[in-house]
Amino acid sequence: MTEIVGGQEVRRPSLGALFTAFLIVSLCGVGGGGGIVWARRVAVEKRRWISDREFADIVSLCQFMPGPNIVGIAVCVGARMRGAIGTLAALGGFLLIPWAVGLSLGLLCLKYAHLPVLRNILDGIAAVASGLLIANGIRLLMPYRRRPAALVFAGVAFSLIAFGRLPLLVVLFGLVPISVAVAGVEAARAR
Amino acid sequence: MSDPSVPIALTAHLALVSSISFGGFPTVLPDVRNFVVSTHGWMTDQEFADLFAIAQSIPGPNMILMMSFVGWRVWGFPGAVVSAFATFGPPCTMYFAAYRIWDRFRDAPWQRIVRLGLVPVVMGLVIASGVVMARAADTSWRAVAVTNATAAMMLATRLNPMWLILVGGAFGGLGLL
Repeated sequence: MTEIVGGQEVRRPSLGALFTAFLIVSLCGVGGGGGIVWARRVAVEKRRWISDREFADIVSLCQFMPGPNIVGIAVCVGARMRGAIGTLAALGGFLLIPWAVGLSLGLLCLKYAHLPVLRNILDGIAAVASGLLIANGIRLLMPYRRRPAALVFAGVAFSLIAFGRLPLLVVLFGLVPISVAVAGVEAARAR
Repeated sequence: MSDPSVPIALTAHLALVSSISFGGFPTVLPDVRNFVVSTHGWMTDQEFADLFAIAQSIPGPNMILMMSFVGWRVWGFPGAVVSAFATFGPPCTMYFAAYRIWDRFRDAPWQRIVRLGLVPVVMGLVIASGVVMARAADTSWRAVAVTNATAAMMLATRLNPMWLILVGGAFGGLGLL
C-alpha cells in the first residue's frame, strides 16, 4: 500500500481508461447497492486516481443531491480527472454499453413475458426486489433511530407516498422545509 | 399512441421527477407508477412490476433502464432513448455544477442541518417505494411473505442481493408463488 500525498503527483488517466473503469463499475453493481463499493475499489484502490478522503468527500456530496449516487460519483471522478470531457467519458462508460445490452435483454424478456414460466419468474423477482428496497430504506434510516424527529418525518413521508399516493414533488416540498427547520432548531438548542 | 402529447408528457414528467430524485431513482417509482398506470393507463400494475423485476435483475444502470422500458412501452425505441436522457440528464448536470462549487459549501454549517433534515424524509420515501412496488407485484400471500422474508434477510445478513433475486426467480419459476 502506498500513500497518496495530497495532489503532489496528479495522475491524468486517459479518457479510455475512465470509460473502461466505469464500465466495470456499472456491470458489477446488480440489484441495487454494491455500486459504490465497486467504484471505490476501482477509483481508489486499483487505479489510485483519488485518495480515500477525496472519495468519501465525493460520496458525501452525491448523497446530498438528486439522482443515483453512483452516477454522481462517475460525474465527479471524471470531472476531477479530466474536467467536463472526463465526465462525459466516465458517464459514457457507465451508461452506453450496459444500457444497450440491458435494453436488448430486457426487451427480449418482455417479448416472452406472457409465457407462464417467465411470468412466474418475474413475479418472484419483483417480490424479492421490493423487499430489497424496503430493507435498504430501513438500513439507511437506522443511524437516525435515536432522533425522534427523524423517525416522525420518515414516517410521515412514508405514509404520504404509500397511503396518500401524493406526487413526489408535493411531499418533498411540503415536508423537507419543515424537517430542515426542525433540525435547525435542534442544532441551535444544542449549541 | 399517435398523439404527440403522449411522449412529451412522459419525458417532461421523467425530467421533473429525476430533478428531485433525492436518495436515487427508487424514490420516484411510486410517482412514476401513478403517472403511467393510474393517471394515463399506459400500462397495468402487472406490466409495471414486470419492468421493475427485469430492470432489477440486469447488471448496469437498472433504474435508468427501468425508465427506458417505460418509454419503450409508450413510444417505442425513441421513447426508450429519450426517457433515458430525461432520467439521467438533469441529475448529471446538477452533480457537475455542484462539484464545481462544492468547495464553497463543503464545511458550511447549514449543509449539515439540511442533510439532517433531508435524509430521514428520503429514507421514508425509499421504504414507501418498496411498499408501493410490493403492492403492484405481490398478488398472493406467498409473494407478500417472500417480500417480507427478503427484507428481513437483507437486514439480518450481509448477503449479496443478487442471490436473493436468483432465489426469488427460482421460487416463482417453480410455481411456488
